[in-house]
Amino acid sequence: MSTATNPALQLNMSQLLSRALEAEMGRDDRIVVFGEDVGGLGGVFGATRNLQRRFGERRVRDTPISEMAFTGLAVGAAQAGLRPVVELMFVDFIGVCLDQVYNQAAKNAYMSGGAVSVPLVLRTAVGLIGAAAQHSQVLSATFAHLPGLKVVMPGTPGDGPGLLLSAIRDENPVVFLEHKLLLKQRAGTARHPGAIDALDQPIPLGQAATVRSGGDLTIATAGWAVQQSLEAASVLADDGIEAEVVDLRSLVPLDRETLTSSAARTGRLLVVDEDYLSYGMSGELIAVVCEELWEHRPRVARHALPDVPIPASRPLEEAVMPNPRTIAEAARRLVLA
Amino acid sequence: MLDLEVAYRSMVRMRAVEEAVQLGVISGEIHGEMHVGIGQEAIAAGIEPLLTDDDAVVSTHRPHLHALVHRVNPVAMLAELFERDGGLCHGKGGHMHLFSPDRDFMCTGIVGASVPIALGYAFARHYRERAGLAVAVLGDGAANIGAFAESLNLAALWRLPVVFLCEDNGYGISVARDAATAGAIERRGEPYGIPGRRVDGTDVTAVYDAAEQAFGQARAGQPALLVCDCYRWSGHYEGDTDHYRAQAEKDAAMTAERDPIQRLRARLIAGRANEDELTEAEAAERARVAEWVAEARAKPSPNPADALSGVFV
Ligand SMILES: Cc1ncc(C[n+]2csc(CCOP(=O)(O)OP(=O)(O)O)c2C)c(N)n1
Repeated sequence: MSTATNPALQLNMSQLLSRALEAEMGRDDRIVVFGEDVGGLGGVFGATRNLQRRFGERRVRDTPISEMAFTGLAVGAAQAGLRPVVELMFVDFIGVCLDQVYNQAAKNAYMSGGAVSVPLVLRTAVGLIGAAAQHSQVLSATFAHLPGLKVVMPGTPGDGPGLLLSAIRDENPVVFLEHKLLLKQRAGTARHPGAIDALDQPIPLGQAATVRSGGDLTIATAGWAVQQSLEAASVLADDGIEAEVVDLRSLVPLDRETLTSSAARTGRLLVVDEDYLSYGMSGELIAVVCEELWEHRPRVARHALPDVPIPASRPLEEAVMPNPRTIAEAARRLVLA
Repeated sequence: MLDLEVAYRSMVRMRAVEEAVQLGVISGEIHGEMHVGIGQEAIAAGIEPLLTDDDAVVSTHRPHLHALVHRVNPVAMLAELFERDGGLCHGKGGHMHLFSPDRDFMCTGIVGASVPIALGYAFARHYRERAGLAVAVLGDGAANIGAFAESLNLAALWRLPVVFLCEDNGYGISVARDAATAGAIERRGEPYGIPGRRVDGTDVTAVYDAAEQAFGQARAGQPALLVCDCYRWSGHYEGDTDHYRAQAEKDAAMTAERDPIQRLRARLIAGRANEDELTEAEAAERARVAEWVAEARAKPSPNPADALSGVFV
């Protein structure tokens, strides 16, 4: 099927994810889904729609607003042989249950000397939605910093299902970060639809996608910022600057090879990140590239959320969030400097 | 059925294991923080006859006794405690993070974190319609963490086969229970419809009788809460100066009548058990533990290079 006529282009990522989950649950009865409002409502962003109707309350369960209890329950259930897919409604709520994620799920395989594994997926919605400081964060680096968690963040709607399949089939705990704007946007209107023609194919974790080729600079990014960067790239192209855009797809594992070989080719790396600037993904990717390519003296820059809580009012929000215009400006500065 | 002589032997083994561990701390073979359960043996011994191969136990930072009664391989456990390779976790877990998936036993060093994880083991049984329950062990201090309240609600709501087993040794490190805990822990399940009881945790029969009921309920899908009174005979950790507990209090609490082992011994003798035979049994159990310890200590040290592997499976 050619991309242009693919009916999946009419769907948004939440619909695509729920279909992937449904198919995978049909194949594997170890999968159980927990979370707030995942049942009758099908998730506040719709990514578990239809699941309870199809699989019943036994497998798809609305939980009380008890994140500590249900993430802990998922850890125990995973160690006892199930494959829980847990929804944390907004990533911002991780504060109330982080212990079970980073002290238990992330560490139990290591601490047990390999005796146990914790194959659970923590799906959670991230990113900007006009909901201010406690409902707009990405926090990807927070998870990526903690050893033992795989951290996946689709940057295109079509990659969501394939990445989710790999996350579910992984023996390790995976934090799966779904950007709200991707969840809600029709795939056909995305700058890049991702693997929309291969929705049932798992996408291996740790394989970045070069979603645009160009020779003047590399923009490495993930999540919604992939779409923003693609838009910036088309603006830059009008000025004769060709950006290569690398969608990391997973922060852990990190596809160092794609990142460094692109940066080696272009000689310039701009990291765009909707997460906070300091001690974050941007610094990390730049360190990786500089360590690996120090002989090439790559030129580097980062464009991320400045170190402030995300404000509520639109003009304030726009002042801090990377957008295509600010990304293009950052790219121009790097290329023209 | 609770066989008092079997329970006696079991408690003697527990004590011997903990004493060996204390020596390991003194000798420096165990360099980390170490929490032992001396004085709390009757609780583990009281649930021992009720635990089956189908059950899971999720314990705390004071886990050794629960591991022993859930029949975790004792040599493998001791090897882990003595920081050797070839034990439960190859030196990567240590005494607060023991994992024995063949027994569905684990423990955690985060106070209260054992409770929701136990719910997960219970859920897996419930989901698979398999026999078995999960025991969530917690201390009195852990009863004040939010995860406990959340878990009581969730267990009741989903009718999970779980027993909340609270070992109330009167302290969370240095803070006395009454300085940290409002109301009665055994009543904290009531609003959720979870019946609770408090028993004398130094009396193995009292523990067993109450646990029999609690386990029976949990196996029928009605979570249960059991609080066992005991006293922590050692410091919070080995090396704790323990100056915060008044000597008079310790003297009053740590008597032969309140020592679960001596108490049971006196009862067995009053019930016309042969004293010499008991002494022999005790020596035999201690010898057995000494063999375990020797076997564990003979295992090699871990290879430092292994520290970097195994983050992901
Ligand atoms: C969440 C958390 N807070 C604090 C600690 C430090 N800590 C370890 S044991 C302990 C006391 C626990 O008391 P209790 O639950 O009664 O168990 P006990 O030590 O008496 O067996 C504390 C505060 C911890 N490990 N985890």
